[in-house]
Amino acid sequence: MNKTTITRAGCLAMALGLAGCASGPGGGSIYVPMGGDDRSSAPEPPRSAEPQEESEPRVWRKSEQPEVSEPEAPATRSPSYRESGDELPAAAVSLIRDADQRLAQGDSAGAIARLERAQRIAPRSSEVYFKLAEAYVSGDNLGAAEQFTLKGLSLAGNDSRMQRSGWLLLADIRRARGNVAGADQAEARAGAL
Amino acid sequence: MTKSRSSRKKSSKSSPVRKRSGLWRFLFRAGALGLVLLAGWMVYLDAVVTSRFEGRRFEVPSRVYARPLELYDGASVSASGLARELELAGYRAGDGVRAGTYQRNGGRFVISARGFRFPDGEEPRRRLSLVVSGDRVQSFSVVAGPDSPIVRLEPAQIGGIYPSHREDRVLVRLDEVPELLPLGLMAIEDRQFYEHYGVAPLSIARAMLANIKAGQIVQGGSTLTQQLVKNFFLTRDQTLLRKGNEALMSVLLEWHYEKDDILETYLNEVYLGQAGNRSINGFGLASQFFFGEPLKDLDVHQIALLIGMVKGPSYYNPRRHPERAKARRDLVLSEMAEAGLISADDAARAIRQPLNVSARPSYTDNRYPAYIDLVRRHLGRDYREEDLQSEGLRIFTTLDPAVQDASEKAVRDTLPRLARGETREALEAALVVTAKDTGEVLALVGGKDPEFAGFNRAVDARRPIGSLIKPFTYLAALEQADRYTLITPVQDRAFTLEFDDGRLWQPKNFDGEERGEVPLHLALSRSYNLPAVRVGLDVGIPRVQEVLRAFGVTTPISDYPSLLLGSMSLTPAEVAQLYQGLATSGFNTPLRTIREVTDARNEPLSRYSLKVDRVADPAAVHLVQYAMQETMQEGTGRSAYLTLPDRLTLAGKTGTTDQGRDSWFAGFSGDYLAVAWVGRDDNGPTVLTGASGALPVWSAMMAQLPQHGFSPVMPDGVQYHWVNAREQALTGERCEDARLVPFIAGSEPQQRLDCDGQFGRQIRSWFEGLFR
Repeated sequence: MNKTTITRAGCLAMALGLAGCASGPGGGSIYVPMGGDDRSSAPEPPRSAEPQEESEPRVWRKSEQPEVSEPEAPATRSPSYRESGDELPAAAVSLIRDADQRLAQGDSAGAIARLERAQRIAPRSSEVYFKLAEAYVSGDNLGAAEQFTLKGLSLAGNDSRMQRSGWLLLADIRRARGNVAGADQAEARAGAL
Repeated sequence: MTKSRSSRKKSSKSSPVRKRSGLWRFLFRAGALGLVLLAGWMVYLDAVVTSRFEGRRFEVPSRVYARPLELYDGASVSASGLARELELAGYRAGDGVRAGTYQRNGGRFVISARGFRFPDGEEPRRRLSLVVSGDRVQSFSVVAGPDSPIVRLEPAQIGGIYPSHREDRVLVRLDEVPELLPLGLMAIEDRQFYEHYGVAPLSIARAMLANIKAGQIVQGGSTLTQQLVKNFFLTRDQTLLRKGNEALMSVLLEWHYEKDDILETYLNEVYLGQAGNRSINGFGLASQFFFGEPLKDLDVHQIALLIGMVKGPSYYNPRRHPERAKARRDLVLSEMAEAGLISADDAARAIRQPLNVSARPSYTDNRYPAYIDLVRRHLGRDYREEDLQSEGLRIFTTLDPAVQDASEKAVRDTLPRLARGETREALEAALVVTAKDTGEVLALVGGKDPEFAGFNRAVDARRPIGSLIKPFTYLAALEQADRYTLITPVQDRAFTLEFDDGRLWQPKNFDGEERGEVPLHLALSRSYNLPAVRVGLDVGIPRVQEVLRAFGVTTPISDYPSLLLGSMSLTPAEVAQLYQGLATSGFNTPLRTIREVTDARNEPLSRYSLKVDRVADPAAVHLVQYAMQETMQEGTGRSAYLTLPDRLTLAGKTGTTDQGRDSWFAGFSGDYLAVAWVGRDDNGPTVLTGASGALPVWSAMMAQLPQHGFSPVMPDGVQYHWVNAREQALTGERCEDARLVPFIAGSEPQQRLDCDGQFGRQIRSWFEGLFR
């Protein structure tokens, strides 16, 4: 493993750690509680308090209601996209921190287990994937590391700092794998940001 | 020896003496023979005892766990979902202070987590406080125990893999069990346990006396060792010979082994109940089975009940005969007080307690047969069946009970609404739900009766996929950005293909109409057949095959043009695999049902890690996702919004085969990917289409889950532009027919159309589309 890979991974780790601290839960995506449009305003819908009512076929609710209650969304609906991935919730940050400690002790398997938990919590955050790539680098599985970096990059969106971290990480991994052309290309991408 | 020789000499002389000595000789010989036989028998018994005990390898079934629920601020769970999850994991509503109880007040929960040894470390005991509001966890905090912003609850056990004799147990070690258990057991069953040599003639005599006095059997004189031997080696019939064997074996057992070893084995072996065809052996499992709690957490009165049940597990079954069981328990409690094991106060307090038995066994076997079936197939790749049945492995699956419940309910409720009469009877369904970004299989339904372990359609029904193939055809096209964009006009016009052998093929649209020129995104979202075949033939069938293989098709793929209309057959699970790559913007993520397997001592055996593999250009996949979102909003999938809230952005694709033989729907939100199939096992026709058969099932499932909408991150190299597709021109947002469409950078139209219909030159500014 070449030294710069590890050094850069370390720098990335720090950058990501700081990023994580700064962000709260949530991120950019729209969260929809089950079954209804109108529930985000009401703190606790009464029916949730009664488990028996839960078994009511709420599924067909709309068709049983008068048309009036239908929101006029179709006219304004259009395919959705967004320009950056999710930020890390605090729970994921704590798992990543835990993973960092494992990694520092050379326990890449333990780090990966924690990062996978973090990934399940924040599957649309590029940080988690870069971290996984880092763990795989230290576990000497560069193939997996490259794939996770690519995955992270696909979620970096317009966050140029994140993009740059990803491309540099990719360059190092590719170089370590002997893919010089690919590494140069990735480095050029990082440089252009 | 000398005696025998002399007697033989004598006997050969005088006849009366001979007669007498003949009898003696006979007796002696019989005695000698008896001794030899007995010795031989003892040797045999000894071998039996030692070999069985030496191995002492209890066959412990493997346990299959659901995924643990992770609680943290922002976790997605409904209040009722959390309550259900707690119930599955064996929690009881209570004060929230005792481990294994929780207190609920509306959306506010206080949970006293028992802690659990996960493969990656111990989750300690903690008391948690949280509020579920808007189907999310808020104000999460650890009230007692080590602080952490995220805590895993113990996973629910969802099944087991049992040995053929169907004995089930949870092994316990003597030094781990509450002290009162062995002490109380001895006080009730065998006071002299640490003194006797396996049998206790005195106790037998005492028992006989008591029995004669009472005129019925009130006491058994068997020692714990004898009871163990009875359980361990012998059949249940009561004969004198068996009694003799039991005594001999008990002595042998005592001769060979330490008292503690025997006691520990007893604790794990004793029969304490029956769950269907599965026998409950040992206190470890009995504790789980009757109280839903680990042995070490039991209260005095609970320990007393289990001890009392040893005498007659079915007679004193606390679920079936609560009064009897309580009387027996109270007797045990007073005996324990008399023996000085507990104070009289403690006994009195314990006697006032109700039985506290969990309402039903904390898990039933095979609640989720289709899912366990898939788990077993995956395990079969790496493990031998006999090891799974006997080594007490712990199998951590990815099953999400809430999603599984939602899936079963969706199938059960929806299927009867889809058709009438004979078709209704014959309709079957399958549903696969995965976590979109991890490939974890969260739920699996294998047929209309989800609890019936029969034909598992989710993994075994291989059916033509129809239009589900179209996104892959268009992906192959859109990867060639210089030739295809989402607004490229494609021909919705009939044509005839002539094969080399002279056969003709004339594909048709579902509605038989032809629309002439349509933009590509519309052709996909409305699922027109003619353009799909034309585009597929244009990019070439081999290219479409390559895309399919990259996304995970492993079976041979036909190279007939009918492939382009989905003549290829796949199982619902395989379709889920195929669509995973579309949902994750071009990253193939192998489907998993198992996260980890450990042995009984928590040593990791296998880990099935998350893998990602980039199989397509994320930019091209993003364009396909756009059209698949359009499918839901304006196209063949729009009826989903009859059931689902409009805010939930979705992407998907319908599929229908000839005469409605197969009705498919594959689609995803931000969190879940699901594939539904509806059809008949006999492959007969139905009146259904993908939209009227599989989609209602799919929507009914999705409607029960809180989740994020689908909103993919715009990948590198994609730009959004307002365009007028008919005129193939960029246009302004407010102009007529304007549509915001993603393009692979550089492939957007070069001309510009004003709102008044005048063409102008294009302003080359990439953020034009972005920041409108």
